[in-house]
Amino acid sequence: MSDSFGSTALRLDSASPPNDVMIKLEGLRKRYPGQSTDSVRPLDMEIRRGEFVVFVGPSGCGKTTTLRMINRLVEPTSGQIWIDGRDVTHTDPDELRRHIGYVIQQVGLIPHLTISQNVGLVPKLLGWDKKRIEPRVDELLDLVGLDPAQYRRRYPKQLSGGQQQRVGVARALAADPPVMVMDEPFGAIDPITRERLQDEFLKLQQRIRKTIVFVTHDIDEALKLGDRIAIFGESSQLAQFATPLEILSHPADDYVRSFVGTGAAIRRLGLLRVGDLEGAGGGAGAGPALRVPPETTVYAALEQMLDAGAARLAVDGEPGAERSLSLQEMLAAAARGRQVPS
Amino acid sequence: MSRAEGVIDVEAEAPVASWVLPVLAVVLTAGMLGYLQVASLDSIEQRVLVPDAILDATIQHINLVVASTLLVIVIAVPLGILLSRRRARWLGAPVLALANAGQAIPSIGVLVLLAILVGVGFSMAVVALVIYALLPVLRNTMVGLQQVDRSLIDAGRGMGMSARQVLTTIELPLAVPVMLAGIRVALILNVGVAALATYTNAGGLGTFIESGIVFNRMPILLTGSVLTIALALIVDWLAGLAENKLRPRGL
Ligand SMILES: Nc1ncnc2c1ncn2[C@@H]1O[C@H](COP(=O)(O)OP(=O)(O)OP(=O)(O)O)[C@@H](O)[C@H]1O
Ligand SMILES: [Mg+2]
Repeated sequence: MSDSFGSTALRLDSASPPNDVMIKLEGLRKRYPGQSTDSVRPLDMEIRRGEFVVFVGPSGCGKTTTLRMINRLVEPTSGQIWIDGRDVTHTDPDELRRHIGYVIQQVGLIPHLTISQNVGLVPKLLGWDKKRIEPRVDELLDLVGLDPAQYRRRYPKQLSGGQQQRVGVARALAADPPVMVMDEPFGAIDPITRERLQDEFLKLQQRIRKTIVFVTHDIDEALKLGDRIAIFGESSQLAQFATPLEILSHPADDYVRSFVGTGAAIRRLGLLRVGDLEGAGGGAGAGPALRVPPETTVYAALEQMLDAGAARLAVDGEPGAERSLSLQEMLAAAARGRQVPS
Repeated sequence: MSRAEGVIDVEAEAPVASWVLPVLAVVLTAGMLGYLQVASLDSIEQRVLVPDAILDATIQHINLVVASTLLVIVIAVPLGILLSRRRARWLGAPVLALANAGQAIPSIGVLVLLAILVGVGFSMAVVALVIYALLPVLRNTMVGLQQVDRSLIDAGRGMGMSARQVLTTIELPLAVPVMLAGIRVALILNVGVAALATYTNAGGLGTFIESGIVFNRMPILLTGSVLTIALALIVDWLAGLAENKLRPRGL
């Protein structure tokens, strides 16, 4: 489908030197008027280009406030926001927001506009002409798995909740913004559809490589989606900011441990792929082996082995590169395991 | 916006017996005219109930209603928008209270008071009608804007719309149904109150009601009241049609 989601389209400041850091928050602080404490205490954070960062934390800890300071829907009390090497703390907020995709839990599709008009909103704000917007809208609907011919002329209320949020994602991507901020986008969707949307969105992100800041209070969603997870404590204080595997294997403190909950070691198996397990090469061992492709997670492989009563795993590969692991070897490797490259 | 085939029609609602009102108006008017034909009218009745005079009074009445309602819209809609902006929101309650007072005063009181203070005639009657019918339009404009889902406004701002663009593309279209309902109420109110304009020499169908009472003649009284009722029914019907037509699709 589309390959126009390059990094080329909308550099906020083309004059700035190439910078690996896409979003940089410096001493970012928010105290709402009339409050006696900071909702966000000074926060420093760097998010790399193309990185998918998830904010998690208990209700009221300031995730939304922090997120909304990035696109300046909330004006920081003090501190600085840098996007793509440019200080945007005091630039025109409307212009800034046209280059940051925004997705919210309530979706917020405009009910009296058709799906195609909704998706075309930001391009229209940016002054694209109609001839450019129309194919772009179709391309985006395709991208999020909605048949343009069928959906483009519908109104939002003629779509299911899951379909509406697909349109919400398409709308945020319409002008190919380099950065997306998403506030619990799948929070109001039933668990089965949510999983599907998560899977699809992960696949989509592998192609479009946006820099994403994603808020959730579901730690499982965070572990599944994030390249790195920021676990927030009171007033947006960072308890830990690390990869899912790191958080599961080396929680920074008891707060993180309790936030992650039980079963960290088991859940880690869902982050590992059998193809990445080290050790054990060729040779077939004793007993029947279960054959799986290398991208299978260790978790899923174990599940299948238990089901099939298999004590060995055969991992598909190039001829000659197939591997076979015993249950013992798998567990040992998993304990040392690396994270799945995303 | 043209309609494509295969698109589910959002406005599936049936027009709720929209023919009842006009049919009723026609039946009432026809009945009254028939009665005037068969009844033997005395000299006073014959002098008052000249067809030309009836037509003139009806047109005057319509003019009063249309002029005052247009003025109400021109004043109340922008005022309502202004009062629902964040910076002026604190003014909303006192202004609404004032408009409320305008409507609480008996309409005949407003008319007479204005007649005493400023004089009589068509424009004075219009001013009185405007004062009287301002409230429903003002209130509905404010309520209509306030009931717009906050998350839509948030989404709009989040996409980079300016406050003005949010107002014109999101808030106002979504407030239209409520605003139209207010305008419809104002129209109906005005048809009724305009019947009192006769007391300030502004004419209208109230003239017949007044002389019917003064001369104690049932046919004259009947003409005035039946025509006023028929006019109210027609106006309500037309307003309903306009409401359906102007309501944004997709809601
Ligand atoms: N407009 C506001 N005015 C005053 N206080 C606010 C405002 N918005 C948020 N707060 C406060 O700031 C704190 C952080 O709120 P925020 O919405 O950022 O939390 P959150 O982490 O997103 O929570 P949740 O998971 O429930 O969405 C809360 O204590 C909240 O009461
Ligand atoms: Mg929140």
